[in-house]
Amino acid sequence: MSADLEKQLRAALRAVEPPAGFAARVSARTQHGRWRRGWLPMQQRWVPTALAASVLAALLLGYGWQTHRERQGLQARQQLIEALRVTGQKLDLAYRGVQEASRPSDDTGA
Amino acid sequence: MKPLQALLALLVLAALSQAAPAADARLALPDFRALEARASETVSVSLDSSLIGLAARFLDPDKPEDAAARQAIAGLTGIYVRSFTFDADFAYPQAEVDSVRKQLSAPGWQPLVQVRSHKERNDVDVYIRVEGSKANGLAIIASEPREFTIVNIVGSIDLQKLHELEGHFGIPQLKLDGKKQP
Repeated sequence: MSADLEKQLRAALRAVEPPAGFAARVSARTQHGRWRRGWLPMQQRWVPTALAASVLAALLLGYGWQTHRERQGLQARQQLIEALRVTGQKLDLAYRGVQEASRPSDDTGA
Repeated sequence: MKPLQALLALLVLAALSQAAPAADARLALPDFRALEARASETVSVSLDSSLIGLAARFLDPDKPEDAAARQAIAGLTGIYVRSFTFDADFAYPQAEVDSVRKQLSAPGWQPLVQVRSHKERNDVDVYIRVEGSKANGLAIIASEPREFTIVNIVGSIDLQKLHELEGHFGIPQLKLDGKKQP
């Protein structure tokens, strides 16, 4: 029984000569597969360039917007301080006016 | 009316009712471009709520003066200042000053301080706009011989917080609490 099995296995696994042109065909298919996996066809080669350009443009736009926003914020802060300064000065002017107006009555009362 | 349209109409009405009180406290300031050309010094500040918010982000909370300013502007939705300094006495048209004063006779505005100094030739009017029990607008009109200033602050105003800014940013000590000047 085991001798039969061994004989069958030997027959099944015996060395066989490849058909003519087999090596050339395998080589050709391998080359073709590598080309397909490793690089895009000519008509799609713009995609990574466009993606890189988009990322770069987005980064530049983001940086520009942030710089603009920062400049705008500092300008707004400066304006705010200026507004508070002017408001304080005019309230002081009003206060001094009220003090001035109340002074004669204080003098008479003393 | 379809439910979606009704919802939109309600949202618009709600937004208008929220915006109306603050908008009333904003004065229609005349176009002072002609005056700017004649003035030796001009201060023109227009900060709406978004710019006030942006400015607040650039105030350093670790600095006492910045922290006080941040508190003072909390609740404000607009700050508008026009100030002109001239080289000659009364070089500004009185009509433009009066046009702003007239707006302050509208309901809601109450005079807080009115100063007429014949000696110094200064006129200062401070008005406050009160809605319910809350102040939601402040206006200052100061006309001096060589200077003319309008300040309009819109939003909920806490005068105490403004008072806390004394001594900072060039704001003089107002001594509103009776403190003596050093």
